Amino acid sequence: MTKALTLLELNDMVSAVFEQSFTHAYWVSAEVSEVRESRGHCYMEFVQKDEFSNSLVAKARATVWKSKWMILRPYFENTTGQPLAAGMMLLVKVKLLFHPLYGYSLNVEDIDPTFTLGDIAKRRKEIIRKLKEEGIDQMNKGLELPRLLQRVAVISSDTAAGYGDFCNQLNANEKGLVFYTRLFPAVMQGDGVEASVIAALDAIMDDALEWDVVVIIRGGGSVSDLSGFDTLALAEHVAQFPLPVVTGIGHERDDTVIDMVAHTRVKTPTAAAELLIHHQEAELTLVESISERITGCVGLRLAEEINRLNMIVGRMPSIYSLFHQRQLNRLVQITNLIHRGINSRLQTDKNKIELLAARFPLQVNALMQAEQHRLKLISLRLKAVDPVNVLRRGYSITQVGGKLLRNVSQLKKGDEIVTILADGKVVSSVTELEQNNKKQEI
Amino acid sequence: MKKDEMTYENAMKRLEEIVDKVENGQMDIDSLSATLKEAQELVAFCRDKLTKVDAEIKKILEN
Repeated sequence: MTKALTLLELNDMVSAVFEQSFTHAYWVSAEVSEVRESRGHCYMEFVQKDEFSNSLVAKARATVWKSKWMILRPYFENTTGQPLAAGMMLLVKVKLLFHPLYGYSLNVEDIDPTFTLGDIAKRRKEIIRKLKEEGIDQMNKGLELPRLLQRVAVISSDTAAGYGDFCNQLNANEKGLVFYTRLFPAVMQGDGVEASVIAALDAIMDDALEWDVVVIIRGGGSVSDLSGFDTLALAEHVAQFPLPVVTGIGHERDDTVIDMVAHTRVKTPTAAAELLIHHQEAELTLVESISERITGCVGLRLAEEINRLNMIVGRMPSIYSLFHQRQLNRLVQITNLIHRGINSRLQTDKNKIELLAARFPLQVNALMQAEQHRLKLISLRLKAVDPVNVLRRGYSITQVGGKLLRNVSQLKKGDEIVTILADGKVVSSVTELEQNNKKQEI
Repeated sequence: MKKDEMTYENAMKRLEEIVDKVENGQMDIDSLSATLKEAQELVAFCRDKLTKVDAEIKKILEN
């Protein structure tokens, strides 16, 4: 009976064949289906899919030992702008290995990141080509940004500081421009991107009229897996979204597919905020300039009208002076006439006066005598009515409060009355009043 | 334009019409003050839209 081999002996034999057969390293292209880091080593699984059915046709485990991974990882990330992640196509230099316990595996000695970069670009191109075929690749770009770009629906991670920074930046604008923002949370890296960003877009779509613009932002500068943004389904959603989409995904290298189909692409959340602020600033400037133009024009028009009026007023004196001159001439004629008339009249009067003056002395004497006689007669008649003469004849005048007393009714008991006689006056007080036909006791 | 129907876009359109009219000298002196008044109201409306918080919109959108 043939002696049976132990499993270890068998595996050792396989291992020896491996070592003899595969002395060189090989460059191999494969898709990464799993990546895991542990204690500084990187463990991956490579797969190959059938071109048409997408089913697996080959599979192998691979390891990048710590000493290599320390060098290859930064090189890969710097070149591609992304960490090595599942779904990527890699070109790797591998050595084949058969371990009695762990079996077949590959030791990765080198990675060519430009291959991955090329593959990503190729995939993006492919997606864009499909979008073009569907006729939707330029749809979002074709939307006009509304003049009022204030109501901002933000798709971002609710854990990252990106959204907070974005809002602070928006609201701290110098001109006091107003923005309204709401966060629609979504996963911003890795596998969940596609589904959660599409869900967020759908949520915004439900109230599409309430929003002016959608902003998709991803905060932080760390390298992360952005392959989720390079999917056909997400690109279709963004391209056909009825509101303009602004992306600020913070990708260092080149544009993801949604950057390409979005209305506007900026690098960072801060730049997205700046974009909105600038748009609104321009609008405010436009409002102010229109205001100035209208006020200026109306002012000019008014000034023109005032000028017109002034010109009309300015022409008035010349019209008037013609009229004035005629009037003046007439006046001069009249004045001359008057002067002539007055002069002749004066001459006549002068002659008369001279004639009279010659007769004056005689007539004055006669006149004076007649007047003196008239004066004498008047003074005699005046003497007869002088109140003093009346008083001398025994009459008296009574006053109360400085006024002439004519009626009993002017008095009341206790009043002081003054009686004026020819040679003096008597002051007395009233003790009794009696009116004709009625006696009044007070 | 009634106030409650006024939108920013419409207000700006109207302002641009007014500017055109005014700058082309198509404005008679009698409507000057009315036009100026309308323009000033529209400018105030637009400026407010851009720089004043509308509490109602804020309530609806941000919560």
